[in-house]
Amino acid sequence: MNTQYKTYNFIFFFILTTVILSCETESAYEDVPPTIANIAVSNPAFSTLEEAAITGGVAVTLSNPNPNDSSGDYTVFAPTNDAFARLGLDENTLGVLQKDFLTNTLLYHVSNGNLAGNTISEGDMSISALGVTRRFVNRDNELFINGSKILATDVDAINGTVHVIDKVMIATGGNVVESALALNDAAVFVNPELSFLVEAVVYTGLVDALSNPDANFTVFAPTDQAFIDLGTALGLTFTEPANIRQLSQELVTAVLLNHVFADVSADKFTSELSAGSFETLGEDTITLGMYTNGLLSVSGSGNMSPANMVIPDVQTTNGIVHVIDQVLLPNM
Amino acid sequence: MKVRTLMMFSALMASTFCLAQSPIDGFMKKKGKGSITLSQSIESYDEVFLVPEKVDRVPVFDQVDISATSLYIDYSFTDNFMIVANLPFIRSEGNATEASLENNGFENVREGLQDLALYTKYRFYTTEIAKGKLDFIGSLGIEFPVGNYKVDEGLQSIIAIGNRSTDINSLGIVTYKHNSGFFATGQIGYSIRNNDVPDAFLNELKLGYAAEKFYVDAFIANQISRDGVDILGEGFNGFFPATQVNYTRIGLNAYVPIIYRFGISGGANTYIAGRNLGISTGFYGGLTYSF
Repeated sequence: MNTQYKTYNFIFFFILTTVILSCETESAYEDVPPTIANIAVSNPAFSTLEEAAITGGVAVTLSNPNPNDSSGDYTVFAPTNDAFARLGLDENTLGVLQKDFLTNTLLYHVSNGNLAGNTISEGDMSISALGVTRRFVNRDNELFINGSKILATDVDAINGTVHVIDKVMIATGGNVVESALALNDAAVFVNPELSFLVEAVVYTGLVDALSNPDANFTVFAPTDQAFIDLGTALGLTFTEPANIRQLSQELVTAVLLNHVFADVSADKFTSELSAGSFETLGEDTITLGMYTNGLLSVSGSGNMSPANMVIPDVQTTNGIVHVIDQVLLPNM
Repeated sequence: MKVRTLMMFSALMASTFCLAQSPIDGFMKKKGKGSITLSQSIESYDEVFLVPEKVDRVPVFDQVDISATSLYIDYSFTDNFMIVANLPFIRSEGNATEASLENNGFENVREGLQDLALYTKYRFYTTEIAKGKLDFIGSLGIEFPVGNYKVDEGLQSIIAIGNRSTDINSLGIVTYKHNSGFFATGQIGYSIRNNDVPDAFLNELKLGYAAEKFYVDAFIANQISRDGVDILGEGFNGFFPATQVNYTRIGLNAYVPIIYRFGISGGANTYIAGRNLGISTGFYGGLTYSF
């Protein structure tokens, strides 16, 4: 009988011990480094990036080792929610972007291998997973990638490194004209944009000039609404891009050239721009305001008030485009 | 303690299929006895146990509410052999915004018949001991999908209603019932699963009290997956059934006979720890007809 009791006791305590020991605890995995995708999902400051990664189809990619690099690692420059909000984007408005463009934009923030924060210095270049090169800028002892300030560096992930940035980086993969056409053709936003500008460039015969592959333009590109507002200011009604042809070619040419820096040897991100007067390809100058919160206002001598940057730092293959909310008028 | 009273209480198990308790309890019924239970359970979560830390929002879906209507039947062919069957209809509803649904091509609801569970249960040894009774029970069961629900819809499958796996489950159960009505049931099991779902160790400890007109128990249940990937972890390819799901869940169950052969059951339970799992708290109620 004693043996029987011992057996029963053994069985009971075996089950009890098994149940207790198999209870799940955080200690089982809390030391496991997160993946880059997990970092985005776990941090509320990256909720827009999380949604973008899911919609853009890179969430699973960034959960895994990088097959295109021997280290298996990625380096990701991660825009915060505030960075997306600068473009009017959040989890609910990402749908204004075409999915392919969103995916390409995300890939522009990714590169192969580990790029540690302390190895980055001014003037360095970095090739993105999109194939387009980014450059690092030092402004007042703060480090930028393109026009985006690096807010934090070296968030470690099991499959790479995350650096936090304050602006979404955009690259089109085409030249200045092709980039404007992409917006016009709704390849970027679901709704067409820069349609009036594209019409103006075609009308004035500046397509070839602005497609020059050897140039490094700095271009200020007015939105459609900016042209519509201009029409209103001139007592005209602009309802469609072709309406721009109500103005003379000479006038439109002068206005367009007032939107391009005369120095076409070095394009400029916002991080490389400061207040002052700048020669244009036209006969007048334009004036940049103070660098404030990563942006600068810009005005032509014919403007009543300065224009604001709506989408700064768009990288094209032959220059940098800053989309603005007013047409920059020269002194006519 | 009237053993016959205890027999009815196995009907409590009707709701446990969906709520991460063992589907099999530690009690047997007399030959020819059985029960039919219709139950309704609800559970909800807005936090998820991810690795290495839990997150306070369900990706895409923000919050997930799950309801299940289950039909449960058990029947005893002999005093020592019985069968158990259960079939739930499950509705899983997310709370993603319209914009998010449109961006990703997702939907907020997945529902349908889930998996049919069929178990045999055999008491191979029983003995009177220490002013009570000790039962040794073995159980073998199969659970397989009968609905046409999907699990391969990428992140949409965060709200999938099941794993679409066929599981072969074996359980060893020991129950000690003291004559006063107190009882303890311990069980250890192993689940073999297909469709890339990791096999898992299962165990549960239940302490309770059963009298003529009242039954209550408290339990702690564990699942430890043998392997698998972490959600958004290395090796994750968007196929959720392949994830390593571990959990520790605690809960309470109660049963009261009401009239004639009918009784009502209810309970609550919650996850206290886990891996790759929504941190849900659930409740259920059921109506049982015993014969």
